[in-house]
Amino acid sequence: MSLDSRKASNLSRKDSTARIDDGRRRLLKAAGLGGALAAVAGGTLLSAPTSAMQTRARIVIVGAGAAGIAAANRLARGLDGAAITIIDRRQRHLYQPGLTLVATGIWKPGKVVDRNDRYLPQSVNWIQDHVAEFDPEANRVVTTAGRVVPYDYLLVTTGLKIDFDAIEGMSPELIGRESIGCVYDNPEHAERTWQMIDQYTAAGGVGLFTRGPGGIKCAGAPLKVTMLTEDIARQRSTRRSLEMVYNSPGAGLFSQPDTNEFLKQEFPERDIAINWHHRLKGIEPEAHRATFATPEGDVRIDYDFIHVVPPMRAPDALGNSPLAWQEGGFADDGNWMEVDQFSMRHQRYGNVFGAGDCVGTPIGKTAASVKAQVPVAVDNMINTIRDRETVARYDGYTSCPLITGRGRGILVEFDYALNMVPSFPFISPYREHWVPWVMKDRMLQPAYNAMLRGRI
Amino acid sequence: MAFSFFGILAVLLETIRPWLGLIVTVLAVDIVLTAWLWASRRSWSSARRPALLAGALVGVVTFFLAPWLTSARFSDLSGLLDWLSIVGGSVAVALLVAILLWPLMTALFGKRDRT
Ligand SMILES: Cc1cc2nc3c(=O)[nH]c(=O)nc-3n(C[C@H](O)[C@H](O)[C@H](O)COP(=O)(O)OP(=O)(O)OC[C@H]3O[C@@H](n4cnc5c(N)ncnc54)[C@H](O)[C@@H]3O)c2cc1C
Repeated sequence: MSLDSRKASNLSRKDSTARIDDGRRRLLKAAGLGGALAAVAGGTLLSAPTSAMQTRARIVIVGAGAAGIAAANRLARGLDGAAITIIDRRQRHLYQPGLTLVATGIWKPGKVVDRNDRYLPQSVNWIQDHVAEFDPEANRVVTTAGRVVPYDYLLVTTGLKIDFDAIEGMSPELIGRESIGCVYDNPEHAERTWQMIDQYTAAGGVGLFTRGPGGIKCAGAPLKVTMLTEDIARQRSTRRSLEMVYNSPGAGLFSQPDTNEFLKQEFPERDIAINWHHRLKGIEPEAHRATFATPEGDVRIDYDFIHVVPPMRAPDALGNSPLAWQEGGFADDGNWMEVDQFSMRHQRYGNVFGAGDCVGTPIGKTAASVKAQVPVAVDNMINTIRDRETVARYDGYTSCPLITGRGRGILVEFDYALNMVPSFPFISPYREHWVPWVMKDRMLQPAYNAMLRGRI
Repeated sequence: MAFSFFGILAVLLETIRPWLGLIVTVLAVDIVLTAWLWASRRSWSSARRPALLAGALVGVVTFFLAPWLTSARFSDLSGLLDWLSIVGGSVAVALLVAILLWPLMTALFGKRDRT
């Protein structure tokens, strides 16, 4: 489906992308161009020349996910003599963008599972525990085992908490039972979600697709699961026996207006009904019934399959700490961490920085945002150590390979201003293609791994 | 340049990492073969045709298998971008295979240089 003609004028204002630090878009650029250069690259990895700064600063990174590991590698290379500590009890590393493909039967779960120790630099001290308390007044964190870890500079990269408790009757253990699926939790649950979708697309019935309100990671994932389920049913010739309903908690489907318009046309064309202002409030697993809060009051709907997407918020230790926004939209939405949206530096504690899903910024809980935020947070931390001005800026870059069916998708990239900022001018952000699908299926995981190593 | 050369190399390395052993082996065999062929004064030109033919064959197979290899179908390809990509990719694979097979083909079919 093409929106090209209507969008041609929009593309002309994309000149503003010149403002954007090109490094922000390297994740996708490198992913796309990487394949083309395969023949000439050999196997040699060359490092960009860097001059490490001498310092004895104690740096603590909380969270060894996408942002934490990428930052650890960059800091380890950018600083000489610093005592860098990373705190996270989780040892396995999950390539979360692949969960959508696991939950729709395209990838096996093993493909998204890796180990943190394969990516962490040797010079970084890894404390395998979780932080229970942030104490920015005293410049220290305390782990759940009671260990006190002091710091001179802190980088918070805890990711977020999926708030299953916010939906009455719901718990992660229900995923893969009673016709309940959820793409967001972990590979095991994603695989069980596939079993549910597999059964549903064979047997038919009413399918409810939901989306938690407020900031969620990869806001495209609930949409992708819906469209991939529809596509699977079509391939199986069972589509007519499926009544699919997407329940949006608000008045839109996607924050970027052009993509929102595309989806508002696409869903009805594919016979996917949309319920506006329907927030999943409760679930009765045995009865296969869901309750939605709507402006007209609670509405109960029976289902044969439900894709549950809970609201998300900052992990408790962070959300309940002085580092969280104390008031305003980001406090109400998910107790997100307070940072300046451009410098990624805490607004009240100058030696504290944040990156990734945990921060309260207007856009971007994606790995693509992590790619753009981490270099900014690291550069600004290093400049703070140097006692220089923090000049690096995050422009809100985020990206979503919006998979519309198995084998095709739209590469959507935009910034704080919600302007499309395509990395490749020849790939339309308004039209389905096979190439974005290939990028999602084949190229983005290597690009993600290169990001973890701090190479892009 | 709007993208980093080092960044692209890094993504490339991550892409080929699972097959690094195989790639190094093939390259090593090619290098050893090339050195031996030079020493034994084989004519490279006589093996160019079979190498190109083998490359072309692999290129055609790649073209037809590419959608399937990416869990897609030909009906998913839409517009110039997709068709140029699949044709360009297949041609690149064809050339790569031809180049890699050239030493082997020279060993099999190359005549000795009279000079
Ligand atoms: C289904 C799905 C699909 C997605 N699709 C895409 C996509 O297509 N494109 C894209 O760009 N992004 C996508 N994403 C989003 C992307 O994966 C995340 O935005 C990214 O992983 C965020 O990185 P992070 O480091 O902030 O958090 P994470 O990678 O989640 O890491 C957080 C880490 O912090 C640790 N932690 C938490 N609390 C504490 C504590 N108190 N103390 C110590 N450690 C702690 C956790 O154990 C974890 O290891 C998707 C995500 C999901 C779930």
